[in-house]
Amino acid sequence: MSGLEQFQDRNVSQNYYRVKIEPYPKTPWEKFKRVVRKSLKPDLLIGLKITLLEMLRFNIHTIQYPKEKLPVSPRFRGIHRLLRLLESGNERCIGCGLCEKICISNCIRIDTKPDENGRKIPTEYTINFGRCIFCGYCAEVCPELAIVHGQEYEYASEQRAQFAMKEDMLTPLDKLKEQKEYPGFGAPTPAADKLIKKTPLAY
Amino acid sequence: METAFIIETIVKILVVLGLFSALAGFATYVERKVLAFMQRRLGPMHVGPYGILQVLADGIKLFTKEDFIPQGAVRPIFMIAPVITAATAFIAMAAIPMFPEFTIGGYTVRPIISDMNVGLLFVLGVMGIGLYGPLLAGMASGNKWSLLGAARTAIQFLSYEVVTGLSVLAPVMIVGSLSLIDFNNYQAGGVGNWLVWKQPIAFILFLIAGFAETNRTPFDLLEHEAEVISGYATEYSGMRWGLFFIGEYANMFTIGFLVSLIFLGGFNDLWFIPGAIAILLKVFFFIFLFIWARASWPHVRPDQLMWLCWKVLMPIAVVNVVITGIVMMFF
Amino acid sequence: MSEKIKITIDGKECETIAGEYVLNVARANGIFIPAICYLTNCSPTLACRLCLVEADGKQVYACNAKAKDGMSIVTITENIIKERRAIMEVYDVNHPLECGVCDQSGECELQNYTLEMKVDQQHYAIKDTYRPVKHWNFIHYDASLCIVCERCVTVCKDMIGDAALKTVPRGGDKLDKSWKEQMPKDAYAMWNKLQKSIIGAVAGEQLDCTWCGECISVCPVGALVSEDYHYTTNSWELNKIPAACAHCSAACHLYYETKHTSIENPEPKIYRVTNEFHYQPLCGAGRFGFDFENRAKRDKEAFDRAIKAFEKADTIIFDSYITNEEALILQRLKEQRGYKLINEDALRLKTFMDNYSLYSGQSLYSADVKDVHESQFVVSIGTALKSDNPRVRYAFNNAVKMNKGGGLYFHPIKDPVIESLGKTVVPVYHKPLREEAALYFILQEFGNKEKLPKYIVEYLNSLMVTKTKEEEVEVTEKVVEVVEETVVDKKTGKEKKVEKKVTKEVPKKVKKPVEYKVSALYDMLDAPEDLMDKLKKVLSKAQKFTLILGEDLYTHPRAKNLAKLAGLIDRFTDFEVMLIPPKTNSLGVALICDLDEEGGEYTIGYNAKGDFVLSALGDGDLDMPALNQQEGTFTNIDKRVVPTNVALPYEGYVLNDLAKALGVSDKEYTIEFTKELPQEKGYKPIDFDDLPNEFFNDGTEHRGYRLENKKVNLSRKNIEPIAELPEFNGTVIYRCEPVLQFSPFTNKAHQLRSKGKLYASETFLKEMDLEEGNKVNIQKDNITITTEVELDDKIGSGAYVGTFDPSIDTKSLFDGYRFTEVKLQKV
Ligand code: SF4
Ligand code: SF4
Ligand code: SF4
Ligand code: SF4
Ligand code: SF4
Ligand code: FES
Repeated sequence: MSGLEQFQDRNVSQNYYRVKIEPYPKTPWEKFKRVVRKSLKPDLLIGLKITLLEMLRFNIHTIQYPKEKLPVSPRFRGIHRLLRLLESGNERCIGCGLCEKICISNCIRIDTKPDENGRKIPTEYTINFGRCIFCGYCAEVCPELAIVHGQEYEYASEQRAQFAMKEDMLTPLDKLKEQKEYPGFGAPTPAADKLIKKTPLAY
Repeated sequence: METAFIIETIVKILVVLGLFSALAGFATYVERKVLAFMQRRLGPMHVGPYGILQVLADGIKLFTKEDFIPQGAVRPIFMIAPVITAATAFIAMAAIPMFPEFTIGGYTVRPIISDMNVGLLFVLGVMGIGLYGPLLAGMASGNKWSLLGAARTAIQFLSYEVVTGLSVLAPVMIVGSLSLIDFNNYQAGGVGNWLVWKQPIAFILFLIAGFAETNRTPFDLLEHEAEVISGYATEYSGMRWGLFFIGEYANMFTIGFLVSLIFLGGFNDLWFIPGAIAILLKVFFFIFLFIWARASWPHVRPDQLMWLCWKVLMPIAVVNVVITGIVMMFF
Repeated sequence: MSEKIKITIDGKECETIAGEYVLNVARANGIFIPAICYLTNCSPTLACRLCLVEADGKQVYACNAKAKDGMSIVTITENIIKERRAIMEVYDVNHPLECGVCDQSGECELQNYTLEMKVDQQHYAIKDTYRPVKHWNFIHYDASLCIVCERCVTVCKDMIGDAALKTVPRGGDKLDKSWKEQMPKDAYAMWNKLQKSIIGAVAGEQLDCTWCGECISVCPVGALVSEDYHYTTNSWELNKIPAACAHCSAACHLYYETKHTSIENPEPKIYRVTNEFHYQPLCGAGRFGFDFENRAKRDKEAFDRAIKAFEKADTIIFDSYITNEEALILQRLKEQRGYKLINEDALRLKTFMDNYSLYSGQSLYSADVKDVHESQFVVSIGTALKSDNPRVRYAFNNAVKMNKGGGLYFHPIKDPVIESLGKTVVPVYHKPLREEAALYFILQEFGNKEKLPKYIVEYLNSLMVTKTKEEEVEVTEKVVEVVEETVVDKKTGKEKKVEKKVTKEVPKKVKKPVEYKVSALYDMLDAPEDLMDKLKKVLSKAQKFTLILGEDLYTHPRAKNLAKLAGLIDRFTDFEVMLIPPKTNSLGVALICDLDEEGGEYTIGYNAKGDFVLSALGDGDLDMPALNQQEGTFTNIDKRVVPTNVALPYEGYVLNDLAKALGVSDKEYTIEFTKELPQEKGYKPIDFDDLPNEFFNDGTEHRGYRLENKKVNLSRKNIEPIAELPEFNGTVIYRCEPVLQFSPFTNKAHQLRSKGKLYASETFLKEMDLEEGNKVNIQKDNITITTEVELDDKIGSGAYVGTFDPSIDTKSLFDGYRFTEVKLQKV
C-alpha cells in the first residue's frame, strides 16, 4: 500500500495547471477545419497510447475494501466512544449533561443518579444514531473527554440501536489498555498546559 | 449425405451458439478487466481467482432475476425484442467462415454454417435487421428514456448502414464476389495481399461504421447512461436484458470476423502462424480495440454522430467507390 | 408611615416610600445591583457585601440602606468593582470545581456572579477544611458547596418561623492577617466571616423542622438540594410549568419542572417543584408532594357506565380539590339535570360567610395573606395554623419578625412552633367549644366601645367580674429609732456622746387582697390575665391588625353566631378578617355551586364516596385527572382566581367529557368555562388564556384576578350571647392533618406517602399510658378504628387524626366539629 501516503498529503495545489481551451469554432468552415486538424493530429492515438501504457505499467490503485482499509484521519468523527479513566478504569462521564444540551440533533439522552458514594453517575447514556449528524459538538463540549468520536465508519446494522447504548460505546474494562486518547474535537491542544492559569493553593 | 449435412449443420449451429454465448460472457469479463487495468483498477476480484468466476455469478444472477415487465409496456413486443437482437446477431454468423477447413476422422468440416454466394450481403442484411431489437424494445417499454433510446437506434443504425455498405462496396468491386470465402481466398498470398493495403480508406470507414453498428463507445448513444439512463434497455432486467448484451457482444465478434476476413487476410496462414490461430488473433485484436477505445475516448453527441455520418464518412465512402471504379477501369 | 419620596439611582429617578431598602427600590425600577444574601421580605444579613453602592458619596449596602428623600445612589464605582470582584474571588476559594455534576449548575448565583464579575484568575488561597455532606431527611446539605450567605438561616427564621438552621463554627484555619493589607476591605471582612462559619441544624446533627424545603429553594448554590432530586437531572433540561399548588387553599404559585422519565420511558415526569422565593414561600407539601397524577388510560366502557350512573343518579357528592371550572360544570349539571350537590366543607364555609356578610356588609372577608404579612398584630382563632394553612403561618411569623409585631393564638392544642415565633405571640390554649368566647374577647379588648352596638357593649360589661387577688403593696411605716450622735461640746471642746430619738419613714412590702375588675372571658378561655400587659408594647405601635379564622369555627355547633361575631369584628374593630378555606378550592365551590344539605338515593362521588365514584386518585369507577394534569383556576384564600396549568398529560376522560355526553356542556375544553364563572359572585368574564400568572420585580402579584367584593345589606338582628355548651370530659381528639399532608393527594406523592396514625403529643401519651408504635382502637358510638400511635413533638398537648389516608375512615369519628370525644383502647 505504498501509494496511500499521498492521500495524506492534502496540499495538492502545487500540482494544478491551467488547461488551454481554444475558442469554439463559429462557422461551418471553421468546424470542418477543426475536424480535419483533429483527425490529422494524433490526438485520438495519444489517447489510446495513454490507456495502453497504463495497462502495461499495471500501476493499480485499488484498495480491496473489506480486506484492506485506508487509515482514517485521526480527527475523523465516527461512532462515539465513552472512555474510562486510564488509571482507575472508572467511567469518565460525570453526567454533566452538556453533551445532551449542546447536541444540535437533540439525540443524546442520559439518565443520572447518585451512586453509593454520593457521586453522580450516568446510569444510562444513549445516542440516537438515526439522528446524529456526527458534528462533534458533544465531543467538543465534554469537560471530561468522556464522549469522543471513534474511528468506526461502518454503521450499517440491522438495528440502529446496535451502537447506541452505553454498553456499546463504553470501553470494556478488559480493553482499557487499548483505549486511545482522542486527538480530535475537544481534546486539549498541545499548548494547553501553558495556557492554563493555576489557582493558588495554600497547601 | 442429406442427414450428415443436417447433423453437421445442427452441430455447427450449436457450437456457434454455445461458443459465442460463452465468448460473449467471457468478453464481458475481459472488458471489465482491461478497462480496469487501463484505469489503474483491479476489476472484479472476489468471485473465483482474479474474479474469473464473476461471469458465472453474473450469469446466475441474470438467469435467476425476476423477469420484470412494466405495466405500461406492450407485452408481446417487449418480450420478443431482446430475442430479435440476439437472434439476428447469431443468424448473421451463419454466413461467416470462421476457420479454414479441417478434417476430423476423415470427415471434412467447413467451419461455416452456410456458404452462400451472397454471404457478405446476408451478414450485413441480418445485422441491419438487428436494429429492430432495440427499436422495438424502446418503443414497447412505455418509458421516455427507452423511447429516446429507440429513436437513437433508428437513426444511428440506419445511417451507418449506408456507410458500411458503401465502404465495403470498393473491396467487393475488387474481389468481384460477395462470398466471404472468396474474399479470404483473394488475400491468400500473405500480408502483402491483404485488402487493407488496397483499400485503407474503406477499412477505416468500415471499422468506424462497425463501432456504430455494434453500439460501442464512442458511439454508444443508444444506452448512454448520462443521457438516457439505459436507453432502450432501461426497463429490462434479468435474462431479457442479458440477451441484448449477448447480442451486442456477438455483434462485436461478427464485426471482428468481418474486418479480418475482408481486409486482413482472413484465415490464411500468416507467416508461421496457422490460419485458424491467425484469424483468432485478429478477431481478438478487434475485440481488444473495442475495449481499448472505450477506455480511451469520450462518446460523441448524437448531432456530431449524424454530422460525421452524412457529411464526412458517406461522402468519403462515395468518393472512395468512385476512385476505386476509375482505378479499376484504367489500370 | 408610607410617605412617598424620590431617590435617584444611577441618574434614574425612582419613587418609593420612606424606609424602603435601596436594593428593593432598584429592583422595582429595573436597576440591577448584584446581591446574594438579601431575601425580599426578610431581614438583611450583610453576609455577601456584594450589594455595595455609593449613597451620596458614602459606601453603603443597598440591601440594608433605607431610602431617604433626595438620596442619590451610584451603583458602580471603581472601588466597588474592585470589591465585588475580590468578593467573588473569595467565594471561589476552595469552592469545588464540580459544576459539572452540581444540581444548581445553570441556575447558580455563584456561577452567574463569578462570570458577571469576570473572575478569570484567583489571587487568594487558604487551606481547605473538611466539610462533610449532611443528609437531613428531605434535604441534602453539601457543606463544601455552601457559601454561607445565610439565606437558608434567614428564610427559616424570618419567613418560615422554624428557625431550625444556624451558623456553626467551620473549624477552618484562621485568616492570615497579611491578607488584610492585600485585599479590598469588604472582601476581607466577608472572607473573615466566611472562613469562620458553616451551616448546621439547631437541633444538632439532625435537622428538626416542619420540612417546608424553602431553604432548598433560596440556596443560591447547590449546597441545599432536595434529596429526591439530587443528581437526577440537570436543571436546564426541565420544562418549567407555572401553576398553582393544588394542596391547600393558599394555592401558592409554583413551577412544576418536568422532563421525560428516563431513556426508556419518554413519558414526562415531575422532577421537582420550585417557587419564586423572593415573593412567595412554599410549604413542604407543595414542594415535595408533586407526583399525585393519575396515569390512567382512556376507558370507554367505564365512561359508558359513568353515563348510565349519571342518568340514574340524583346526587353528586364531591370534595373541594377541583377547579372553579369543574365546580361550574357541576353547577350546570345541577341546573340542567337537577342533581343535588353535596360538599360539606364548602357548604359550611358558605354558611359561615353568608352570616359573616350580614354583619360585615361585605360579601367576602376582608383580609388576604399579604395583609397578614403587613400586620403588626395578628390573631388566630380556630385553626391549627401550621397544618391547616402553612402559608398563613409563615405570614404570621413574617409579620412578627419583620414588623416587630405580635399576636394571639387561640387554640385548644398547644403548639410549640407557634410559641417559638416570639415572645410577643401569646398563645391562649382554651378548651374546645370555647371559640365564641375568643371572638367576644376580641370585641372586648379591641372593639371600639363607642361604635359597637349597645347590646354588645352591655353584654361585654355584664361579663365583667370583680376578683380579689393578693397583691404586694408598698406601705410606709413610721419607725422610732435611737441614734447615738457625737457632739462636740463648744465649751470644753470635748467630744461626747448623746443619745437621740429619731422618727423615720421606712417602706415595707405587705401582701394585701386587692379588688379588681376583669372580664369573665379570661376564665372561659383559660387566658392569662396579664395577657394584655405582655402585648402592650407591641400594640402601642401596631397599625394593622389581622384576624385569622379557621375551620374549627365553621364546624362549630354555633358556627352561625360565630360568623356574625366575626362580621361584627370586621366592622367595628381595626381587625381585617381572614377566613381560611378548609380545602384548596372550598371558596370557589362555595361561591360557584348552589350546595344542598341532604343527598338523595343514588349518588355519584367525585373524589368522594358514592355509588359510582369518579376519582382522580385512580381508585374509583372512572378515572379523572389529578389537579396537576388539569388547566383551570382556583379561588384561593386571597379571594383571587389563580390559574394552574397542565404539568403532566392525562389520557382519560375529564368531567367536561361527561357533561358533554350528558348534553350539559357544549365546550370542547374545560377552560372555556373560565369566562363564564358567575359574575354576581365577583368573578370576571376573562378568558383563561388571558389570565396572568407571574410576579413583577417589585413583588406585586399578577396572578389571575381578585374577586370583586360586593356590598351586602346588614342584618338588624342581635347577635346571641355565648351559649353554654356541654363540655367534653372524656378523651378528646382533633381532626387535623399532620404537617406535609393535606389530603389523599399529598399522600399519593412518593416522598410524602405514609400511613394514617393517631398523632399524639408527649403529654397525651403519658396521660393515656401509651408509647409510640402502640396500636389503639379509637371508638366512638359504634365505630371503631384501629391505628398506630405516633409521637408528634410539634404539638404540646392533645392528639389528632388525619383524613389523608383513605384506608382508615377517620371522618366518621367526627360529627362536624373538629374535636370529638372518643374511647381509646390499647390493643
Ligand atoms: S455528533 Fe453532533 S449530532 Fe451527533 S450526538 Fe454529538 S452533538 Fe449530537
Ligand atoms: S459532556 Fe461528557 S461528562 Fe458531561 S454528560 Fe456528556 S459525556 Fe458525560
Ligand atoms: S454551587 Fe454553583 S459554582 Fe458551585 S459547583 Fe454548584 S453550580 Fe458550580
Ligand atoms: S446552604 Fe445555601 S443558603 Fe445556606 S448559607 Fe449555604 S449557600 Fe447560603
Ligand atoms: S425545611 Fe423549612 S423549616 Fe426546615 S430548615 Fe429548611 S427552611 Fe427551615
Ligand atoms: S445582599 Fe446586601 S450584603 Fe448581601
